[in-house]
Amino acid sequence: MMGAPAPPVPRRSNRLWQIGAFLLVAALALGLRVRAVQRLPIDYDEDDYLTAAQRYAAALRLGDWHFVFNYDYNFEHPPLTKLAYAAALLPLPDAPAAAEHSSSDPPAASLPEPHFRLARCVAAAFGTLEAMALAGLNPLAGLFLAIQTWQIKYTSQIMLEPLPALCSTLAVVCYWKARGSGGGARSRWLALSAITMGLTAASKYVYCIAGLAVAADWLWASFPTGLAGRSGRLKAIARWLAPLVGWGLLAVAVFILFDPRLWVDPIGRLRQSLLFHLDYAQSQHVKEAGYPIWQPFVWLSGSVPWHPGVFVISLDLYISLLAILGFRRLWNRQRVFALWLVIALAFLTGWTTKWPQYLLILTAPLSLAAAQGFSGSVWQPLTGWLRRRRDASRAPVRQRPRQMDETPVSHWKDVRRALPWLLPGTMALLALAIYPLVYQGAMALTDFNATSIRDGIQGGVWRAVWQGLTGQVRPVPVDLFVSSAVTFARKVHFAGPSVLVQLLGGLGADVLFFNVLWVVLTLSLQAALGIGLALILNRRGLRLAGLWRSVLLLPWAIPEFVGAMFWLRLFEPDYGWIPEGMPHDIPLPSFFADKNFALFVLVIAATWYGFPLIMLAASAALKSIPLEVYDAADLDGAAGWRQLQYITWPLLLPLVAPALIIRSIFSFNQFYLFYVMRPPFPLTTWASVSFYFFNAIGPSGGQFAVSAAINIFTVLVLIGLLLVFNRWTRASEGVTYA
Amino acid sequence: MRRLSLRGQIASQLILALVALFVLIPIWTLAYLAFDGGVSGWPTEFRIWPEQFTLGVFRQVWQRAVEGFGYPDMLRNSLFVSGGAAVLAVGCGASMAYAFARLRFPGKRVGLFALLLGALLPPVALMTPLYILLTALHLRTTLLGLTLVYTSFSLPFCIWNMRAAFQAVPKDLEESAFMDGADHLTAFWRVTLPLAIPSIAIAGLIAFLIGYSEFAMGWLFVSKNADVTLAMAISGMLSDGFASWSNMAALAMLMSVPVVLICLVLHRYLLSGLLGGLADSEG
Repeated sequence: MMGAPAPPVPRRSNRLWQIGAFLLVAALALGLRVRAVQRLPIDYDEDDYLTAAQRYAAALRLGDWHFVFNYDYNFEHPPLTKLAYAAALLPLPDAPAAAEHSSSDPPAASLPEPHFRLARCVAAAFGTLEAMALAGLNPLAGLFLAIQTWQIKYTSQIMLEPLPALCSTLAVVCYWKARGSGGGARSRWLALSAITMGLTAASKYVYCIAGLAVAADWLWASFPTGLAGRSGRLKAIARWLAPLVGWGLLAVAVFILFDPRLWVDPIGRLRQSLLFHLDYAQSQHVKEAGYPIWQPFVWLSGSVPWHPGVFVISLDLYISLLAILGFRRLWNRQRVFALWLVIALAFLTGWTTKWPQYLLILTAPLSLAAAQGFSGSVWQPLTGWLRRRRDASRAPVRQRPRQMDETPVSHWKDVRRALPWLLPGTMALLALAIYPLVYQGAMALTDFNATSIRDGIQGGVWRAVWQGLTGQVRPVPVDLFVSSAVTFARKVHFAGPSVLVQLLGGLGADVLFFNVLWVVLTLSLQAALGIGLALILNRRGLRLAGLWRSVLLLPWAIPEFVGAMFWLRLFEPDYGWIPEGMPHDIPLPSFFADKNFALFVLVIAATWYGFPLIMLAASAALKSIPLEVYDAADLDGAAGWRQLQYITWPLLLPLVAPALIIRSIFSFNQFYLFYVMRPPFPLTTWASVSFYFFNAIGPSGGQFAVSAAINIFTVLVLIGLLLVFNRWTRASEGVTYA
Repeated sequence: MRRLSLRGQIASQLILALVALFVLIPIWTLAYLAFDGGVSGWPTEFRIWPEQFTLGVFRQVWQRAVEGFGYPDMLRNSLFVSGGAAVLAVGCGASMAYAFARLRFPGKRVGLFALLLGALLPPVALMTPLYILLTALHLRTTLLGLTLVYTSFSLPFCIWNMRAAFQAVPKDLEESAFMDGADHLTAFWRVTLPLAIPSIAIAGLIAFLIGYSEFAMGWLFVSKNADVTLAMAISGMLSDGFASWSNMAALAMLMSVPVVLICLVLHRYLLSGLLGGLADSEG
């Protein structure tokens, strides 16, 4: 017997624990938002919405309902949020509204007080309520929502986001509660869900994405089965759709009720405000922002970069990573939220307007996914490991079977025998790799740059690090991506790990996300093309196979930078072969300006360069599969796709995996392609960024310390990647221990 | 697997031809410039064939490509730095690779992991400290300095690779040498090394190719025109903006063609070298 079974946790303490966590999340959310309310500078649009709120408040005070029905300032957004701000402003005296200005001007310098502060507090209250609503479902998710910096920023400013974000979260949470209950409770939750959905629509249209998720989940979960007969089928379909239609009608009714502008000319005004967004998405204003299609993912890969010192905690990158880990669990357990996340991400990717506040349509399901990720991928493995350790220490000590490596020969003897063999390589590695790496780690802790190079070479780096680590000097601030980081001091100073910490906190999220996107895109295309071609080349009876193989191998044999020159020659806007050959009435997007097009060209070029290695590896693997296996399959009547699925693929994959790992890491480190083709920022890899910070000739160059910090960061990421790969391939005794 | 039907044959040939076009068109659009005497700056017209076919461009870059230095000078520099790096990497790393393959010592697993990590670092990863280190040693602007830099790129990779090569030699052969009274050194020298030579040569070739096509570090370290390597010369012409694209294309071809031929002939061995040790599943 392994000790007494643990007593069942009493429900009451569990309940208390939950209430405690809930209150903690509420307090944290409120505290962070109040801090942000006080510290955030006035942002674009805040003056617009405050002005609208002031006008509404004045009209409400006078009882001027005509104004409320017809006020068409900022008509593209329904008025409920603005009315909510107005309601808060009612007790305050009138104040002059902020001056009108064009949307391209900088934000207003000052706004009327205390109206401004009060409206922000209302926003923060809505934001806190949303975190509490989510915490009621899952306290950890509420915690993540409370500390997510984009969520804090846009629920602490006078934006349209706080109310619809709250309402849409409530709508889905209520729907989820309804699914878990029956009878009257179910109807009440559904009615509540429809009402909050209507309020969502009346506050900002884009948050209705959550409603799509509800509809999708509802239809999915109640899909009718076992239909017989035509009339029966129709009836079943009607019974299937009817509740959802009822829910939707209630939501629409609430929407119209809470959008007073629609009381006058519902169809025309709804059309007008919706069409505005379609036009706006194609407008010059949006184009000039220059955000690539993947920009929403960039926002999610880091914290709000513009307001240092406001948010206290910046773990957004890790919340997003946990969300990736937890997505499958969320899908299995609370599908409606997973659907919400997927639909919202798809919308943000496809929609051309990429303002960061749109992230708030998905921060709630993102936080839930992150909470699932934490429980499934961090907490459970950790507690399981602890329990196993505890059990092992309780269990009677048993003789462990010794492995070959552990035969009881004294270490000392091994060392003495191995030492002469290891000596030359160790010396070389010490001089050329280990010492440089340590030196690099030291540089990363300083402000070493081109101006202080003489001092650095004469040992200044070591001196500064020693002084800093022994507490003799205080670290000087160094900010990544700010050109004033070059201090023009002739001496090296200790700077502390601030740049490294900033990088790990997701600063440079645009490069970070691009680097990851780059690996995923290029690797999948290279693998698809390479493996597909290998399958074709290895068909029995293919003619000219040798010739084709040699031709297709060419890109792999050519030095990478020469290959990059080919693609520069093809797509360069001034002297590119394709732009020159295009008819003049069909303009080609510019490689140097259009980021989406640049990504396309780069991915094609990288595929061109990288697929042959995978083709070679896959060919070699295919040759190792004996033909008799296929002959046997033929006899058994399995042909074509089934052979591919059940014979080729399982035998091929483990043999191609090393090539895939190599290519993915080369992709991650890709440098020469970017050096030669010079695509627009942030289409670049960490390796290239590090080079440009280092290269003293470049505009931001000569910042040795920043370059070193980036390299240390790369080393950390690579260690992480290797550990992951190692886990994946441990079944076949691993990448590292082969 | 059944033999290809006629339809399957035609479809396969068609797909392969399309991919071959995808491979060859980019090459050709640059390569034809090398045979075109008419392009003095960058190409301004759309062509698919040289305007005036000539081999004169090749003659010109052979004699004088960059500031009075011709192809043979730069080839010599390239061979010195990349060949030197390959020899140093293989020479310094061979015994350590053998130790990792055959001997037992504490920290072996960590060491292997570190080697793999080192092999997978981007070439820029260590440039800052090496730059400072070689400046302090007054070696930075010499070809020897550049050779050391390229050695640092390929050393972990070569050790990792040669380890796989030594592991591939059957242990029994060594053990029979031990039976005859040989020690590790003799066994290594007489038995394992000769059998592993082909794989080691491939590791060396890969190390050579890394240095041969490197230019970005080169420009950071080398300062004299006489020390410019082929890859550096081509990249210099590219970023110059006013250089003749014909000359650049010709130089790029002169640089690439020998390498391409070597790679095509040896592709099977190079593949196992590149993936060396990653694929074998020996526990």
